[in-house]
Amino acid sequence: MTTGTLSFLTRALFDERTLSRLAQLIHISALRSLKVRYRGSALGVVWSLANPVLLTAVYTAIFGTAFKQYYGGSVTRYVVSAFVGLAVATFFLNATSEALISVVMNGALLNKIPIKPIVFPLSAVAANFFQQLITSFPIVLILSLVLTHDVLRALLVPVVLCSILLLSTGFGLALAALYVFYRDLPYLWQIVGFMLWMTSPLFYPIEVATPAVRRWFEFNPVAQDMSALREVVFGQGPIHFHYIWVGFIVGLIALVLGALFFRATEREFMDLL
Amino acid sequence: MAAAIELRDVTLVRRTQEELHYDLKRTLLELVNGRVRKIRRHTVLDTVSLTVAHGEKVALIGPNGSGKSTLLKVIAGVLAPTRGTVTVDGSVAPLIELGVGFDPDLSLVDNIVYYGVLLGHAESEVRERVDDILEFAELGPLRDQPTKTLSSGMSARLGFAIATEFRPDILLLDEVLAVGDERFHRKSSARLDRFWDAKSTILLVSHDLQYIEKSCDRALWIDHGSIRFDGHAGEAVKRYLHTVPGDDSLQHGEELIELAERSRRGEIVVRGTSPTDEGLKVFLIREGRRHWVMTPELYGKLGYVWDDIIHVDDAVIREVPEGDRLL
Repeated sequence: MTTGTLSFLTRALFDERTLSRLAQLIHISALRSLKVRYRGSALGVVWSLANPVLLTAVYTAIFGTAFKQYYGGSVTRYVVSAFVGLAVATFFLNATSEALISVVMNGALLNKIPIKPIVFPLSAVAANFFQQLITSFPIVLILSLVLTHDVLRALLVPVVLCSILLLSTGFGLALAALYVFYRDLPYLWQIVGFMLWMTSPLFYPIEVATPAVRRWFEFNPVAQDMSALREVVFGQGPIHFHYIWVGFIVGLIALVLGALFFRATEREFMDLL
Repeated sequence: MAAAIELRDVTLVRRTQEELHYDLKRTLLELVNGRVRKIRRHTVLDTVSLTVAHGEKVALIGPNGSGKSTLLKVIAGVLAPTRGTVTVDGSVAPLIELGVGFDPDLSLVDNIVYYGVLLGHAESEVRERVDDILEFAELGPLRDQPTKTLSSGMSARLGFAIATEFRPDILLLDEVLAVGDERFHRKSSARLDRFWDAKSTILLVSHDLQYIEKSCDRALWIDHGSIRFDGHAGEAVKRYLHTVPGDDSLQHGEELIELAERSRRGEIVVRGTSPTDEGLKVFLIREGRRHWVMTPELYGKLGYVWDDIIHVDDAVIREVPEGDRLL
């Protein structure tokens, strides 16, 4: 699925001939970062689950009882809701932060071997997506089936995950390009990332924010995907499709803008690496 | 038959690194204050046209910063020309900054595969060659160790072994005539000699002018980003040396003996020339606890300017064991 999405994206940007080479480079480069992360141990996979699980435990301990009234009086529903949101948001933050440094980090390599620099942010996102694909994403899918008893909703889970993949790729590309020019970007992105985290209703119900404040949440692209996710994992009755396609469109726009920005600035990268 | 390498009016304009807006905060502040600094650019290569036939061995000579290495990078496809076209026919092995760019956390084997694929080879093909590469680099026992455990010399050996394993049509050598310690040095130059004898096209950046005269058919003298002379290697070297300032313009250091003594005590890194008893000049460099002497004959022949001595490869500098008399 990953390569399918990637080739769709790259076809718009490159001619056919370089496409397979690009896919191959992204593949091997993503494999490299996964290898470094796991160091050949199966335990590494478990670690990537540790983050959302531990955070869910902490949030549940603090807010679980206070917020359960918003979750049909059930702490379990709160736990599930927090876990699903945190898993997806963790992916977004990890993927974008890794993509951000990827081009600069591979500067030495880019100075020796002719490689399209876009390989590195794309493979950073791909590696993170793959990692979640074998850990938390199947859990999200199972939760959707168990909670909604609705196969159609479960089938829409991959669509929502694709939206978040598109969003992460778009942000990742833009950040990677910007970082070449502005080396203090990681600090800024840390703050922005935290703001996106706090304004996505991950561990609190959206209802606790006043409508006036909530209006501003609309500008958080991650929150759009959170609404779509909520719809496919918890929704009951007829599906509100608009959550899903709004998330997807937002992801698509982010991707196109990110890719265009990357392509526009790419020519100057080598002067600064 | 098409040329191996063809450059037509290649101009490369680059941003200067010093003028980097490396800081978003500062840039935004400047924007607010309405003082936007203009990005400074300079021309690194100026309308360079060049045709290299298959099998030709061409040397690039010229002072530091003249654009020799940049030209190699343009041919390698690492840098895209601002104007003009670059056409390369055949597989290229860039031997540029050997040993840099490995992932320190990956094992040697994984790095070899990764690097090989980046160079454009199929993964299966690289995997088949892993053992040969490790054997040539004499790093077999370390195959599953993370690459950060290698010394810089070992990394260079590995980089050399990978880049030269795949019998490239075109070899780009940036100050790489041999790598590693004395023993490996011989082995790596032997491998390069094989390319030299074969039909490979070779482009070489080096300060070893003797070697160039001996082994290249043709040399390009590059100065300030353009080709000053293109032709017979001996002639190019002669013309280039003619412009290199003579002894008079070199800075004269303190008395050699005093410098040597002070450097031996680890007080200073000697950078200068000094007359010896015979009236000759000797160049001294201290590297860690080791002393290096460069003799005037070598200096004269090679036509080094002082800047180059610091970067010069081991081959032309005689090592003086510690405690040995320098004169």
